[in-house]
Amino acid sequence: MNPIILLIEDDPQIRRFLRASLVTQGYELIEAGTGREGLALAAAQVPEVVLLDLGLPDMEGLEVIKQLRSWSSVPIIILSARGQERDKVANLDAGADDYLTKPFGVGELLARMRVALRKVAPAEEGKQEVLYSLGNIKVDFERRLVFRGQEEIHLTPIEYKLLSVLIKHRGKVVTHRQLLKEVWGPSHIDQNPYLRIFILNLRRKLEDDPTRPQYLVTEPGVGYRLRDD
Amino acid sequence: MPDPGPGVVPQETEPSRSGPENLLVCLSPSPFSIPLIRATKRIADAQQARWYALYVETPSHDRLSPENQEKVAQALYLAAKLGAQAVKVSGFRIGDEILAFARENQVSKIFVGKPYARRWRRFLGLSLVDHLIWNCGPIDVFVISGEGEEAPPAPAPGPKPRRLLREYLLAAGGVGLCTGLGFILFPYLALTNLAMIFLLTVVIISSFLARGPAIFSSFFSVAAFAFFFVPEYYSFAVANTEYAITLMVMLLVSLLVSGLTTRVRHQARVSRQQERQTAALYEMSQNLGAINSLEELLEVAAEQITRIFDCRVSLLMPGSTDKLEIRAGQPYADEYGKEGMVAKWVFRHGHLAGAGTDSLHAVKGIYLPLIASQNIIGVLRLATDQPDRILGADSLRLLEALGSQVGIAIERENLSRQAQAAQLQIEAEQMRNTLLSSVSHDLRTPLTVIAGSASSLVEGEKNLDAVTKQELAQSIYEEAKRLDRLVHNLLEMSRLQSGQAMFNKEWYVLEEVIGCALAQLDSQLHDHPVSINLPTDLPLVKIDALLLERVVINLLENSMKYTPPGTSLEISGRIEGQELLVAVADRGPGLPPAELERIFEKFYQVSPGSARGAGLGLTICRSIIEAHGGRIWAANRTDGGAVFNFTIPLAEGAITLDKNLPEMQKDSR
Repeated sequence: MNPIILLIEDDPQIRRFLRASLVTQGYELIEAGTGREGLALAAAQVPEVVLLDLGLPDMEGLEVIKQLRSWSSVPIIILSARGQERDKVANLDAGADDYLTKPFGVGELLARMRVALRKVAPAEEGKQEVLYSLGNIKVDFERRLVFRGQEEIHLTPIEYKLLSVLIKHRGKVVTHRQLLKEVWGPSHIDQNPYLRIFILNLRRKLEDDPTRPQYLVTEPGVGYRLRDD
Repeated sequence: MPDPGPGVVPQETEPSRSGPENLLVCLSPSPFSIPLIRATKRIADAQQARWYALYVETPSHDRLSPENQEKVAQALYLAAKLGAQAVKVSGFRIGDEILAFARENQVSKIFVGKPYARRWRRFLGLSLVDHLIWNCGPIDVFVISGEGEEAPPAPAPGPKPRRLLREYLLAAGGVGLCTGLGFILFPYLALTNLAMIFLLTVVIISSFLARGPAIFSSFFSVAAFAFFFVPEYYSFAVANTEYAITLMVMLLVSLLVSGLTTRVRHQARVSRQQERQTAALYEMSQNLGAINSLEELLEVAAEQITRIFDCRVSLLMPGSTDKLEIRAGQPYADEYGKEGMVAKWVFRHGHLAGAGTDSLHAVKGIYLPLIASQNIIGVLRLATDQPDRILGADSLRLLEALGSQVGIAIERENLSRQAQAAQLQIEAEQMRNTLLSSVSHDLRTPLTVIAGSASSLVEGEKNLDAVTKQELAQSIYEEAKRLDRLVHNLLEMSRLQSGQAMFNKEWYVLEEVIGCALAQLDSQLHDHPVSINLPTDLPLVKIDALLLERVVINLLENSMKYTPPGTSLEISGRIEGQELLVAVADRGPGLPPAELERIFEKFYQVSPGSARGAGLGLTICRSIIEAHGGRIWAANRTDGGAVFNFTIPLAEGAITLDKNLPEMQKDSR
């Protein structure tokens, strides 16, 4: 059965373009023009991914996320304009899973959706991964070793923890706050400068060109993402 | 009496006189001045003539009672209100002063009231009207009669009797002293020289004392001289007729001298007062001229008037709700809103009112309208325990002059503010127009590509091969992205220009910011290899990362736009003093030296129309960098190409990258 995608978006042109793109990719699309309608559809049809536009006529996107999260853990991908970084962070911290900045290409959208759908399959995530590889990077979780090509790379405990959190959320954006909370603990969520320095150090150890990273990319104003394709 | 009809202009009228006629009305302290002014006003209106109201202040003005002095002031005030130019001159002979003024101002008709003159003066033809008629030359003189003969103005009670008595005693004492001195010198001096000493005494006395004591001293000294020193001694009988002549001459001379001295003193007093007024007005205009805000202007004016009149001064002007508000000076208590009502009345009617005046005097303040060239723009309030001190003719005139100066200064300030606002609006309008024309061109180019490519795809579905379709789709995608960047730049620009931009400064690593900029430009950069040269130990900088990313993107885009494909770009950074210096360099043709500064101006393009972009990119860069407290400038490289530099000041306590950071303690959960 095709995965059901709920699109909550008030602009008919964007809906038309997404409908054309997603249906040809084998998704079943249900559409809502307002937040209320979207919430009703989410309850009635139980979609596997929700695409949520942040400029709805009837309610704030944040409100939709909060109401949805009160009873559902369905992945939510936000569609937002550039320059709304604060909103994005707030929405992500409120429970949204990922975001796309308008205008976006279909390739980007499909990649985000694949990541979101993967998360839904809980059976695969149930047991601890043993080995993870990304390009020429390999991580052996059992022995806590990291390789770049054949070479073993020494990571400090924090760097290793940071990398493993990013691998856990691979393909998905992780906000600064989330990373600080998961790596260092809730009392360090304001230590952005430290996070930046550790990310930089991690890049210098893992990336071929740390200034133009291939794996560990920055999401400006929001957080970091470990590329997964 | 000549016919006041307009056709009867005397033959002698100067041919050069043209345009509206000038009329002159002469004022006196009599209550008849008021109907006289009104009559002249009617005639002036009928003939559409300009008119003057003149009062000649003679030494006798001082001897008028305060009520009569007030009448003069009110007459002048009324004349000014009715449109006359009210003038006060000082002199001794009223008639001569009037005629001199009339000639100076090319007056063609003089209006005087039917005069009261003492019978003997009338008999001798010495009345003012006779004087004017005999000496007026080409000017017509109109005598306007009132309700019956007017009474002579009541003389002032003069100085207080006590003071006057003291002055008479002083005068007598002075003559007594002189007589004593005469006794000592009598054996040595001729009689004529002794007379000189008495004359000197009279001069000294009259130069210090009032006119009465001065005249008294003349008579008294002649009497003393005759009694003691002219034979027959100790009697007023005169032995020789020659002595009688000496005494007569002495009396006349001393009377003349005392009269002259009094006049000189009066003249000195008048000019001192005028000097004081001129100085006050001059100082006010000096102070008001050097001011560039309305608030400051009002403060200075209030302060200045406070100093001159030694009272509590408040300046009221209509606020946003058209209600009068105290804008400068002293606040005051307003019981039952009476003060406010009077202020409102004065503001509406433009008349003086309040304590000590004729209208609405049941309040504590004196209210004077501030009149600008067109309308009343405010009210000046003065509060003092002795309003009469301010409402005296002279000080009232000074106050009015100051008030009109302030009014005009306020108006000037308002006008200059309006002009400034209009100028700003024009500039904003021009900028909008430039922006619109520039932007619409830049928007149309990608839109043309997108619309064209899309329509080819729609219509030519069957004829197009896969490669062409792919190309068309690719160009739609790229042009859409370019459009997005342009729109983003425009939004950023308007945000920065309107001052609404909220800076979200945080500690960032420069390398990361540059990396993000490169990631955004990825697809465009394949023609221009970029090399990055950054020290590994740069400190963190406190910046708005998204805005700084925009700077790097715009600089790179600008370099790509103006350099041939295949040439390399270089980004480098280093610490210079207390700043982080970042340079984006290219190997293109470089910049014309004259353009190095101008390229940061809005909409400026080195060669307009040749390349894409609204010319906003570098302007945005400058706004962002300046908002971070840095500088941005362009230069040419010595070995070819252009380089754009910008600096970011380093903050205190910045974390350096190379330091081995203590790994933060993990929370024990």
